[in-house]
Order: sequence, then structure tokens, then C-alpha cells
Amino acid sequence: MQTQELRQEPLAAETNPGDQAFLKLKGITKRYGADYMAVDDLDIDVPKGKLLGLLGPSGCGKTTTLRMIAGLLDITKGKITIDGDDISHKPPHKRDIGLVFQNYALFPHMTVAQNVAFGLEMRGVNRVEARDRVEEALEMVRLPGYGERKPKEMSGGQQQRVALARALVIRPRLLLLDEPLSNLDAKLRDDMRIEIREIQQRLQITTVFVTHDQVEALTMCDLVGVMHKGKLAQLGTPEDIYERPADLFVADFVGRTNVLGCEIEALDRVRIGASVYPCDTRGLTSGKAKAAIRPHRISLTPSRDRSLVSMATNAAHGKVTRVTYIGDVVQYDIDIGGNTLTTEVHTASAGHSFQSGEKLLCEWKPQDMQVFAQGSGS
Amino acid sequence: MAAITSSVPLADAPQTRRKFPFLLIALLLPMAIINFIAFVLPVVRLGMISFIESRSGGVLTNNYTLENYVSFFTDSFSFELVANSLTLGFGVTLITLCCAYPIALFLHRVSPKWRNMLFVITVSPLLVSSVVRTYGWMVILGDQGVVNGILMSSGIIDSPLRLTNNTLGVFIGMVEVLIPYMALSLIAGFGRLENVYEEAAASLGANRWTRFRRVILPLTAPGIALGCLLCFVLSISSFITPKLLGGGRVFLLATEIYDQAVIQLEWPTAAAISVIVLIIFGLALAVYSRVVKRFD
Ligand SMILES: Nc1ncnc2c1ncn2[C@@H]1O[C@H](COP(=O)(O)OP(=O)(O)O)[C@@H](O)[C@H]1O
Ligand SMILES: [Mg+2]
Repeated sequence: MQTQELRQEPLAAETNPGDQAFLKLKGITKRYGADYMAVDDLDIDVPKGKLLGLLGPSGCGKTTTLRMIAGLLDITKGKITIDGDDISHKPPHKRDIGLVFQNYALFPHMTVAQNVAFGLEMRGVNRVEARDRVEEALEMVRLPGYGERKPKEMSGGQQQRVALARALVIRPRLLLLDEPLSNLDAKLRDDMRIEIREIQQRLQITTVFVTHDQVEALTMCDLVGVMHKGKLAQLGTPEDIYERPADLFVADFVGRTNVLGCEIEALDRVRIGASVYPCDTRGLTSGKAKAAIRPHRISLTPSRDRSLVSMATNAAHGKVTRVTYIGDVVQYDIDIGGNTLTTEVHTASAGHSFQSGEKLLCEWKPQDMQVFAQGSGS
Repeated sequence: MAAITSSVPLADAPQTRRKFPFLLIALLLPMAIINFIAFVLPVVRLGMISFIESRSGGVLTNNYTLENYVSFFTDSFSFELVANSLTLGFGVTLITLCCAYPIALFLHRVSPKWRNMLFVITVSPLLVSSVVRTYGWMVILGDQGVVNGILMSSGIIDSPLRLTNNTLGVFIGMVEVLIPYMALSLIAGFGRLENVYEEAAASLGANRWTRFRRVILPLTAPGIALGCLLCFVLSISSFITPKLLGGGRVFLLATEIYDQAVIQLEWPTAAAISVIVLIIFGLALAVYSRVVKRFD
């Protein structure tokens, strides 16, 4: 019932995300042993009805965070509230949170219907209503009529859907998903990604989605929190994360990127190798730094005179050292005087294809090159 | 057993199936021969003896008769024996289960670092013969034993508690003897129990007790069934511990078989009672397979 009345809210939340924080993580910390910080002082607010993706490499503390929210792990420090209700120290069975585990964790001794009905039974829902709601939930995950099967008689993808139905049928305040797609094959993963997002938006249920896959995080989520070594490296919309990474770690982890060593010349230009390129150094004025450029933001043209190129773009002469055909794109590795740039050209739009050894000109806009202080986010 | 062997040919690819029976037979043959000579033949012989007519003093004749069974079923003492044995069997099994279940659950959950050591400690009583352990219990529980000694010298009681030479003593001894077997069977049957199921149940709103009842208990049912079967059979067939700790005052089917065969030399009577015990075991096995199928 909580889910229905929210339908009109997303717009307001979009314009003013901070105000409507539904799930609030305040300085939550998990320490193992004397001084190993698995999760270190995490601050995250998730507005009602939004999908937060927690993205990070394996071992960065995503599962630990999720388990603390679910109440399966004690928090060392910090506070968790849902809709103003402090749940930091509530036992898991009183938190009213739906949880989908990485390996599904369907009860093997129960049928699919019994699995889905379990949470309803715990809430004292009467048999008749429970049966209807179970069937409704199974329909929602497109498994109508599968109720009498045992979990082991179903494929991984189907078990995944049952797990989702089991978590959602209780209409929890919050849905937590721990790498729900990582055990599925690529094609199924694409379908499930869309399906989960659709269900989440239809029910307008606030969700935290843990993943190490940046495509999942960028395509599904309203908000992405990138985690690195237990800390929150950046929190923002997928576009923020991709276009305006907060540090070198985020730039490197989310999407492919070229990272080049550079020297800051002034607030508005850096030197890479022998050439100077205009760009925004974001306050840095001197010293060594790193410059990051996305492969597909570099355009390639046959070699021509540098003076013909607009002063507003950065350009570097280079030589193709390797050509990798990937299908939708062709990847060219280009040597630009000591540094190698990886670039991507869409096969459909490619006006010209280059050969290994060919000389060409790489161009990119100054704003597509981001500069980070040496050692940021490492 | 049946389920395991019947699934083998199904799992094989068609070409390898032709080679397999030879290897299978070669590997199974020694066990089959031993089983036949040491188990099947004696049981058949036992069955035959149970129908032989005996004259007083245990002299066997060549006549076959139903007399041994008839006299068993018409003697009210026999029913006392059956009742005592079943009470002991069910009682000891239940108490052993209650004692061993927490141990097994703990061993299943403890970190692998400790598990092996604790496991060895749990089953280490098996390294000492149950006869020796039973004598140990006599020393501990006897009228001048450790327990009574402490209680009397500290003035809590005036006269010794009767802890041996009765059913109580037999229960205490049997439970201790059987705990390692029960713990072993339980752990062997706990394969499906994983922490994540409890966590899933908790996230769906189940409190501790409900998690135990609805998740842990059903998932460990195969282990419970196996342990109960084993302990039931072992407690009904054991006679040394009941004899020593019962002091000849606890009458069971097993002790009766021993008396008839070794003291009275009435082999046909002993054989008839043995067959009845075998039938009880057969029933227990049938119940077991039902339970296992139900919880699969
Ligand atoms: N019970 C534990 N004791 C000690 N360290 C742990 C424990 N559980 C997890 N860790 C450590 O905490 C870190 C974060 O783990 P986790 O949250 O599972 O990472 P992931 O982001 O891959 O889900 C890992 O380095 C892991 O080794
Ligand atoms: Mg994880």
C-alpha cells in the first residue's frame, strides 16, 4: 500500500533529491578485527522510489554495506534510518526490508509458492489473500503457474525471479539486491536488467542494487555510489559519474579511459610529452598530474597540417600501432610520441578505416580531457 | 541405498555403459561375497533355527515347529520385554538427539579452523570400547561412586541415590555411548543447511524460533532421521551396557536373547526373539525411508 501513493513523487525528488531522503546512511562503518575497515564512514541518502547502485570492484565493501542495511551484520558505527525510523540496531526480522541474495537462497525444502508465501505467513496474512498475492507476485516476475515446482527444478534465471517475487510480495519499505545478475549468462542478464528496472519503477520501491558491473550501474540506476576500499569515492547520477568523475579511480573504473601522465603548465593547460594542451585543470597550477580521456571522445582523421585544425580543439599526430575489431566498434591504439592512446570508432559511422602503421591526427575537445592530481583515488 | 545404485546406469553416457557393468561388478564382488557369507547366510540360518524344535537342555532336534514363536507371543513376559526395549529405544534416541543436536549444529557453524579439532573431540569416545566406558559409568554412578560420594560428603543427601542397577543407569550409560554416533549422523545429514537460508528467513520477518522451526529443522531432517534410526537400532540391540548398568534387573529383548543363547543354551528361542527384533528394525527402516523421502 505504501507503494501506491508514491506515484506522483519522483518529479519532486528529481529536482530536490536531498530533501526527500528516504533511506539515510549516516557515517556507517564496519570494522573487522582491530583496524580493518571493510566499510568506512559511508554517507548516502536515497530519495523515495529511487534506485541506488553501489558500484565497486570486488572486495570494496558493497556486500558488507548491504548486509548492514539488512541487519545481518552489526554496524560498528553510524546510523541507518528509513523514512525517519532509526533501524540501526533493529534485528533483521523487524526491519521490513526485502532482500535478494547473490545465489538466490531459495528454501530448498519448499515449493516456489511456499517460498514466496513465507514472508506473508510471517506477517499473518490469511491463506486466501496469501494465495492471491503469491500468484500475483509470480505473474509479475513472469512465472505464473510455477508455484508447485521445487527451486532445484528451475533454471538460474527463474530462481532469480522467484527470489525477486519472494522479496517483493511482502511490499517491503526497501529492496536490497546483491549482485542479482552476476550468476546469469550475458543475454539473460540484459533481459533481467530491464525487467528489474521496470518492476522497480512500476512499484516505485526504493532500492539499493549492488554490482561490480558498471554497465548495470549506469543503465539501471537513478543514483550511483562508487565505492573504493570501503569508502564512497563518488555519489551522483550515472551521467555525473561518467562525465564528471570525482577522482582518477572513478574515471578509470567506470567506463574505459586513457590515463596519461602530464605536467600542469597553468590553470588552463597541461603538457603531455612534448605538446601542450588546453584544458581545465580544476584548480591545479603546477606539478605532475594525470589526464584522462575517454576512447570514443577522440576523433580520428587522416594526417593533415596541424595549422588547419581549429585552435579550440586538442590535436596530436600519431601512428596506429594496433587495430582491434570488436564488432560495434573498432579500437585503434595510437602512439602519440611516447604515450599510447586507445580510441574507438563506431563501425557504422566510420568514414575511413585505418591500417596499422598509418599516420593520423587525433582530436578531442578540451572539456573531454579531465585532469586529476597525482595519486587521487588510489 | 537403492536410490544410489539405481541412478548409476542412468547417469552414464550410452557408449560407456557397456564397459561399466564389468568394472562395477568387479568392484562390488568382494563386498557382495563378504556380505553374503557374513550376513545373508547367518540370517537365513538364524531364521531356520528359530523354527527348530528343541528338547529341554537346549538339545536341537530335526523337527520344525512354530512352537518358539507361539510361546513367545503367549507369554506376557515377552510383551514386557518388547515394551521395555521400545521404551529404551525411543527414550534413549530422543534424549541422545536432544544432547547431540546442539553439538552438531555448533560444529556445522563453527569456523573451519576449529571444526576439525572439535569434531575429533566429539567422536573420540568411540576410540574407547563401550564396555570400558560402561564400567566407567559404574564407578561414577555406583552407590559408593563419585556422584554419590560428593553428594553425601557435602551433606546434600543421607543415603546414596540409586543411579545404577536400574533403568535410569541404563539410560545414562546408553545415551553417553550413543552420542558420538548421533552427532556423526547429524553432521553427515546437515549438508543442505546454509546460513544464507536463515538470513533469508530473517529478512522475510521470521524470528529466531520460527527460523529454527521452519528452516533449520526441515533442512536438518535427513540428519535427524539417520541419527535416530542408527541410535534406535543400536540401543535395542545393545546388551552389554544394559546388563552391566541394569545389574540384571532391566529386562530387554537383547538381554533375553543373550540369556537364552548363552546361559540357557535355548538357541531356537533366542533365534525366534532375534527374528522379532529384526522385524522391529525392518519397520524402523521403513519409517526412516518415508521420512527421508518426505523431506527431500
Ligand atoms: N567476516 C569477515 N571478517 C573479516 N573480513 C571480512 C569479513 N567479511 C568480509 N571481509 C572483508 O571485507 C571486505 C569487503 O567485503 P565485501 O563487502 O564482501 O566486498 P564486496 O564489495 O565484494 O561485496 C573484503 O576485503 C573482505 O575480505
Ligand atoms: Mg559481494
